[in-house]
Amino acid sequence: MFQVIGGRSVQVSRLLAPRGAVLVEAVRGRKSRTDPVAKSKEGRIKVPPPVDPREMVVLKERYSEYQLITRALRLEFKEEVLRKKYEEETGSLAEERARQEAEEHHALMAINNQENLRMLQVRTLRVRQEKEDAERKQVEASLQREQQQQEFLKEKEKDILQLQEDVKNFITLENLDRRIEDALDNPKNYNFAVDKEGRVVKQTMLQ
Amino acid sequence: MVHLSSLLLKNYHGGYVVIRFALAGHKQANRPFYRIVAAYNKRARDGKYLEQLGTYDPLPNIYNEKLVSFNFDRIKYWIGCGAHPTKPVAKLLGLAGFFPLHPMTITEAERQRAQTELMATEDVLEEQKEAEV
Repeated sequence: MFQVIGGRSVQVSRLLAPRGAVLVEAVRGRKSRTDPVAKSKEGRIKVPPPVDPREMVVLKERYSEYQLITRALRLEFKEEVLRKKYEEETGSLAEERARQEAEEHHALMAINNQENLRMLQVRTLRVRQEKEDAERKQVEASLQREQQQQEFLKEKEKDILQLQEDVKNFITLENLDRRIEDALDNPKNYNFAVDKEGRVVKQTMLQ
Repeated sequence: MVHLSSLLLKNYHGGYVVIRFALAGHKQANRPFYRIVAAYNKRARDGKYLEQLGTYDPLPNIYNEKLVSFNFDRIKYWIGCGAHPTKPVAKLLGLAGFFPLHPMTITEAERQRAQTELMATEDVLEEQKEAEV
């Protein structure tokens, strides 16, 4: 019969309450099963409200009529709901709708197939083009490589020829003595003077 | 995607649908306002409902009218699916004309009329007594 309450509003008021006490408040439907009967209600016998028999007869008649009508209404509504569901699923409109949807589907599939074919052609063209380009590039690359190789070989041959020509001027063991004498006989002077304006003067003091 | 609503709808064993009043805006004191609602029987009065089918304002407005609204199409659907209206909802529907007039409405009205006639005759008798005196 007493209900325990707790909460944020309660915490403030509990400052004045004794420590350890639980806050209770009275609630409707207060008495529990074990509570004794109140003193003022000790000899009370609960009596239902009095029934007027004439009114009861009339009421029973009215109720039977009412229930008849409501039952009929309920069955009608049920029939209407079922009919609506039936119409929805297998009515004429539903067939029309299904047919239209199938037509739309066919049309869209046809469009899709056309698009696919077109894209296929475009794609094959593109792929072929790309293959040709790649082949051409490869051929060009190989030509380039061969050309480079040829040039390299030519350079090397030139170098060899140059070297062969230089061989004539090399100093060997036989020429050694003669070249030494030649060098000693012809002293070369590498000194030169340069002006700020860039005039070169090779004639200097011979030593 | 799995339809989550059918997984979230609680399945009641032996439960049925009722059309009844649910108190709306229950945080306001002394200002009731009811929604006419199709809900499962076991649900709390103000708890989750299947569909709202109307409103009922029990306090009269400035023109002394009590406003009620119904969604007759959906009420027909739910009754066709096997919903039961409660007594006050049935009474309101009877007054609206959708259902036949509830017997208790008629008997209450008759009782009220008998009471007022009784009071009127008592007043007349009192006046007569005062006149004699």
